[in-house]
Amino acid sequence: MQVLFFGATADAVGMREVEIDFSADAKAADAFAAIVQKFPQLARHKLLFAVNQEYADGGETIKNGDELAVFTAVSGG
Amino acid sequence: MQEEENQKPKTKNQNRTDFFEITSEPLKVGAIARRVVPANCGAIVTLDGFVRQWTKERETEYLVYEAYEPMALKEMEKLIERAHERFEIENVGIVHRLGRLEIGETSVVIAVAAPHRRAAFEACEWLIKELKRTVPIWKKEVYRDGEVWIEGDSQIKN
Repeated sequence: MQVLFFGATADAVGMREVEIDFSADAKAADAFAAIVQKFPQLARHKLLFAVNQEYADGGETIKNGDELAVFTAVSGG
Repeated sequence: MQEEENQKPKTKNQNRTDFFEITSEPLKVGAIARRVVPANCGAIVTLDGFVRQWTKERETEYLVYEAYEPMALKEMEKLIERAHERFEIENVGIVHRLGRLEIGETSVVIAVAAPHRRAAFEACEWLIKELKRTVPIWKKEVYRDGEVWIEGDSQIKN
């Protein structure tokens, strides 16, 4: 699955996207925990998550082809 | 086709000309504001958000804005829908700029047209507050001696 990073999280992991395999029917919360485990430097940030360009609360079931994103609290304006 | 047409949710004003955009080009505030004007309105309130030089004692050299563009556009669209539910307004336009912005350059324009000014003021304030909370756009502040991605609306204290 494609995982996207932006701003502070992109700088922290040193890339803007990465392909990670998750088990079929994984919960989004488990996928995000696995991402933070793979990139422990993310843990010092307060993170927000999205699945398919919608904010995720972790309860979503993810499937092949989904677009995941990990980013920090937003600061536009 | 006809059936689909009938099932579309009806909005109060079929002539709404809302818009939400992300661009790397400089923003022309007046031109953006004019795009929201309908005939039955008496006021537009426009927010011109621009790059601040001084935050407390710290001097910013320039900012870099980045967005999760497709999600940011979706969130902007949702914001506009929510604004229409909350306020007596006719049209809303939101344009946010990305990339490197120098001191004083406009980063965001929000224009709200309403029959009466009070709703336009209130909606504009609500929209920028919610945009800063929900739309996935980030700013990096670049100082003479370093840089930092701002996380959340509050300024980083260090």
